[in-house]
Order: sequence, then C-alpha cells, then structure tokens
Amino acid sequence: MELNFRRLVILIRKETIQILRDRRFIILFLGLAFVQLFIYGYSASKTVYHMPLAVVDQSRDEKSTAFLQALVNSQYFDTAVYLDSQAEVVKAIDRGQVKAGVVIPPNFAANSEKGSADFLIVLDGSDQFAVGSAFSAVNLVAQNFGLHLTSTNLLLSGGNAATSDANPLLPITASAQVLYNPDLNDKWFVIPGIIGMILQTLAIEQAAILLVRDRELGTLEQILVTPVRQLELILSKLIPLLVLCLITLVVSVGFGIFWFGVPFQGSLFLYFWLSLLFITSCLGLGLLISTRVKTQYEANASSMFFMLFGLLLSGLFYPRIGMPLIPQLIGDLVPLTYFLRISRGIYTKGIGLNFLWSDALILVIYMLIVVVVASKRFKMRLD
Amino acid sequence: MLRRIWALVQKESIQLLRMPIVYVGLTLGPVLELILFAAAIHTDIKHIPMVIADQSRSPASQSYLIGFTNSDSFDIVSSVPDQAGVVHAIDDGQAEIGIVIPIDFASQVAQKNATVLMVVDGSNSFVTQSAFSNAQAISQEYAIGLTHLQLSALNPHVQILYNPDLKDVWFLIPGMCAFLLFGIALKLTAFSIVREREAGTIEALLVTPIRPIELMIAKMIPNLGLAFLDLAFTFFIGSVMFGVPFRGSLLIFSVLALLFAIGSLGLGLAISSVSQTQVQANQLASLVNIAVMFVSGFLFPVYSLPFVLRLLGYVMPMTFFMTITNGIMIKGVGLSDLWAASLSLTVLTVVIFYIGARLFRQNLD
Repeated sequence: MELNFRRLVILIRKETIQILRDRRFIILFLGLAFVQLFIYGYSASKTVYHMPLAVVDQSRDEKSTAFLQALVNSQYFDTAVYLDSQAEVVKAIDRGQVKAGVVIPPNFAANSEKGSADFLIVLDGSDQFAVGSAFSAVNLVAQNFGLHLTSTNLLLSGGNAATSDANPLLPITASAQVLYNPDLNDKWFVIPGIIGMILQTLAIEQAAILLVRDRELGTLEQILVTPVRQLELILSKLIPLLVLCLITLVVSVGFGIFWFGVPFQGSLFLYFWLSLLFITSCLGLGLLISTRVKTQYEANASSMFFMLFGLLLSGLFYPRIGMPLIPQLIGDLVPLTYFLRISRGIYTKGIGLNFLWSDALILVIYMLIVVVVASKRFKMRLD
Repeated sequence: MLRRIWALVQKESIQLLRMPIVYVGLTLGPVLELILFAAAIHTDIKHIPMVIADQSRSPASQSYLIGFTNSDSFDIVSSVPDQAGVVHAIDDGQAEIGIVIPIDFASQVAQKNATVLMVVDGSNSFVTQSAFSNAQAISQEYAIGLTHLQLSALNPHVQILYNPDLKDVWFLIPGMCAFLLFGIALKLTAFSIVREREAGTIEALLVTPIRPIELMIAKMIPNLGLAFLDLAFTFFIGSVMFGVPFRGSLLIFSVLALLFAIGSLGLGLAISSVSQTQVQANQLASLVNIAVMFVSGFLFPVYSLPFVLRLLGYVMPMTFFMTITNGIMIKGVGLSDLWAASLSLTVLTVVIFYIGARLFRQNLD
C-alpha cells in the first residue's frame, strides 16, 4: 500500500472544499459541541439541591421551627407546601408536587429537651435522587441539630464545653485539605471530563458516518475508477475531521477556562498532544464501525453504543469504583476511560507524564491496534 | 388510498428490517442498557481507595483507624510515612482520600483536643463528597464513643413510598422506557425521508400517484411499530429479569405512550425535512437526543437544574412522559393525579406534530 503525497494533498483539498461548502455541516458540528458543553456543564452535578419538600409541623414550637429552618438553610430543600397530616403528604407525593415530606409530631421541643425527639420523613421511592440525596441530607441536618442541642443543653446546665467552635464536645476533630479543587466546585470536575466526552462522541460518530456515506450513496464507484488508493481515501476523509475536532478541543478548553472559570493547572502542550492521540483513537474506532455497516443510520446507531458506554462506564459522572466486573471491563474498551484520567490529571490536578505515562501508553497501543485493524478491514469494494 | 399506504408500509418495513443493527438494537439494546445503567448508577459508593499516614503508631491511633478498616466504604490501599506521601499517592491516582494522624495523637486525645487531617482528591468531586462525609461520620462516631456522653438525638423515622427496598432498576425502567421509545421513533424518522432525498429516490416516489400525506403516514407506521415492540420488550425484561411492577392502568399508559410516540415521530419528521443530508439529520437528532437526556429528568432531576435549562425541560414532551410513566408504573396513580402532565403532553404533541407535518409538506416540493 503506497502513499502518493501529492495525490493525498489534492484529495484532502477536495474533502475540505466539500466540507466548507456544506456550511450547515460545520455549524451543526460546532453547534453540537457547544450545546453539549453547556448542557453537560450546567446540568451535571452530584449533589441535588432545592428538592421540593412538604412540611407538616404539628408541634409549632421554637425547636420545630428551628429544625425546619435548618433543613431549608442546608439548601437541599425548598419548602413547597405546608400541610396538616401525613396522609396529605402522601397525596402530594402521589401528585408529584413534592419529592419528600417531613412530619414533626406534637411536643417536639419538650421531647428534644428530654433527649430524644422523633420525626418522620416520607420519601418518594420512585425518585432515585429523593431517596439518595434527600435521605442523607436530612440525616446530616438532624445529626448536626442534635449535636447543637446537646451542647446548648450542656452550656445551660453549667457544663464546661471546650472553646473550639467546630464540635465543642468531641475530643477528635477532623480538618480537611481538599487537593486541586478547594471549594469542591462541581464544574472543576465536570468540565475536563465533558471535553473528552464531546470529542469522543463527535469523532467516532462523524468518522463512521462520513466513511460509510460514499458506499451508501454509490459515489464510491466513481472514486474506484480513479487511481486513488485506499489509504489515501481514508486519510483524506479523516484529516479534515481531525482538524475540526482539534478546533473543537481548543474552543472547549477556552470556554472551560474563561466561561466556566475552571483554571488550567498543567501543561497545555502535553494536553494538546495527548488529546491528539485520543482523537486519533476515536477516529480509528469510527473507521472500524464504518467497515461493519452499510447505511448511515446503522453507523449512527452503532456509535451510540460507544456514547452510552462513555457516558456510563468511563467514570465521567458515575464512579468506576464499585462497578461490577463486566461493566468495568466494557468500560476498559472505551478510549474515554483513559483520556478522562489524563484530562482531569493535566487540567485539574496539574500533574505530568510521570504520573500519567501508563494511561498515555495504553492510548498509544489502543490507537495503533484500532487503526491497523480498521485499515485492514476497510475494503474499497462495493459489496 | 389505503392500499397505496399499505404497499408503501411494506416497502419501508423491508428496508428497515434489512439492517442488522435494527435487530441488535431491538433485542440487545434494552437488556444491555438496563444492566449498564443499573451498574453505573449505584446509589452509594463503596471501596474508595484510602491511604494512611499514621505518625503516632500508638494504641489510640490504631483503635481510631479500626473504624476505617472495618468500613465497607474504604479500602486501605497503602501506608505512607507523612503528608507528602499522602499527596503523592493521590497525585498518582492510587488513592482518593488520605488520613494523616499527628505524632502526638495519643496525648492529644487524652487532653480531648486531637486533630487529624483528611486529604481529599478534589478533582473527582462526586467521589470526594461521598468519601469525605463517610470519613467524617466514622471519625465522629469514634469520637462520640470516647466521650460517654448522652447525646440529644433526633430520631428520623423513614417511610419510603412505592419502592421500599430501594431497588435501583425500579428507578431506571420508567425513564428508560420513555427514552428508548423517544430515541427509536426520533432517529428512524429523522433518517427516513432525507435518505430518499440524498439517494435521489424521492423523485421516483413523487412521480407515482402517492400523495405526500400518504408517504408521511407510510414512513411513520413501521417506525411506530418498531418503537412499540421495543417498549414491550423493555417491559418484559424489566418484569421478568428484574421484577419491576406495573401498578397502574395499562390502557391509560398505552394511549399516552402512543401520543408521546407520535410527538417523537413528528420531531423526527421536522428534522428529516429541514436536513439536506443524512449527516446533518444525524447531527440534529443527536443534538435533540442529548438535550432531552439531560434536561428531562432522565439523568439529573429537573428541579435542581438552572433556570434556563429547566425552561427547556418544560417544552419537551419527554419531561411529562417521564412523570406519567413513573406515576403509572411505579406509583400506581391514575389520571386524577396525572392530568396536568397528560394535558401538557397532549398540547406539546399537537404543536410538534403540526410543525413537523408543515415542514414535511414545504420541503417536499
């Protein structure tokens, strides 16, 4: 398989002109990247805030008011409605008006002074966020409130609490040092990940579709009668796409830094080269898909699987720790899994190749295997 | 007219069923997606890798650490001499969290004023938050145990409605049914008309006595059939493999699902009409698909989205259909509770389908 450089340049020029003339293609390509960046960037967060809450306060004393205030102050809940009984709370959840309800029985203040007050929390068990976040949030608020009550009781009864302001009662306090992201801002975690996700989706899907298009539309025949070689054809399709992906990369990182305000800690130079490696692997995967399908719809549906794997199994939003073995292994087959560690490593942690060499090495091997296998399978035949 | 439509439906079905991916997507798709989603979205995170720097090496520090060793939440992966070692292990990605216990920990505890340092990896915030609050809880529990104090306790009693055993798959099935129905109806239709245009076969169809409305209906029927087959299969998998209940009325659900599917087909029709090539149709459909996935409450709850995205969520039929699916299947409620969502779904479907049909007619000639 020889490569004629002049012919390749001419072909690339032809493809570029074709892409540039299809203005909508470019607008949609970049538009797809932007919309993803914004939607992912603004919607993805682990902690769920402002959950609508129904409140039944049968006690109506200062302690119950203070506890309800603590729930709202925690930002986890918005009081959506005040009701009179537990049955009404269940009805409000049936209607979908609220996701959780809290019922405080009579004599809350008196009981809490005695040392043990009960309350009921009703959760919408059909909403995973309600049962996950709401439950732990209520527990946290209740625990802190209980500690607070104990310390005020002690102070009132003349007990001598230490002066430390965290938890005056406890002999051990844990102070925290949060590395790389001191304010625990979700964006700092999300942005480097979604840059990888966007690039992977675009590269795989567009490469698969563009390469299968000539076959589906029958224009492959016209190319077959020219002296163009297979490798030249592949490269001429993929190189303009690579350039578009690189533009997307630069623009996304720019938006990450200047719009979302996530500082870039590591080496931009290293980031660029490893991204190039990652994009090439994804384009290779797209090439591989195109060898197995006949229509553009099939190309799209097949690349959807990689999008799904990337979204769920690479560690993008859902941690890979604790996943069962088989989904973990499937995740290992997705290039994003390796690039995520690289992207977060360089972008947020600011570490270099001395820590990331193994992921980079795997990507190199991955790229070589995918590109070689795909080129072998890619046949410039009609059937 | 009916015979013409029937002939066209046959042609479309044959074209559809010639693609192997249709079978794969129909059978393997729902099973795979269910298993993967269930694997990815586990509500609590366990076995977070932890590194320890115990500079005290005293009985006090060892008994403090027992809580962490025994906890399912953490796996202690290594022991290092100091704080720098902890940071290095986190840099390396070997651990997500580390604990540094100072040299004079034992005497500090005796004076009731000990401090330990927890170092957390902030670049992985979803894990971090969970790790840090678990670690603090373990630490606090140990500290409370040392005080022998009677604490004022607020005892939360929990009542979990509809899904008391908190089975993960029960959360997923309603959203997945909606999402699969939407995705299949949207994508198949988005590709269908533009494919004829790109291949030049649309002219051949237009010179026949077939009218645009007949073409439109014929294009949609096989897609609708396929989408419903997939829905039925997802239900089947859900109830047989995972024991997901169906508590409400199947009739009401079918009617509303049909309405939702028609809206999705209308959206696909609109995309197919405004696109010149299949590549463009695919890009537009992906755009819609991603937006729907993120703002309809499928991956993240609608109420915690920023304002603009929440508005976007409220013009998508999927948002309301998810409420309906969830309500009928898991909650077992009827139209008296779901009338608002059903009304919104109906209005949006009519509007979207009208736009789709208009664009289809305009772009045909």
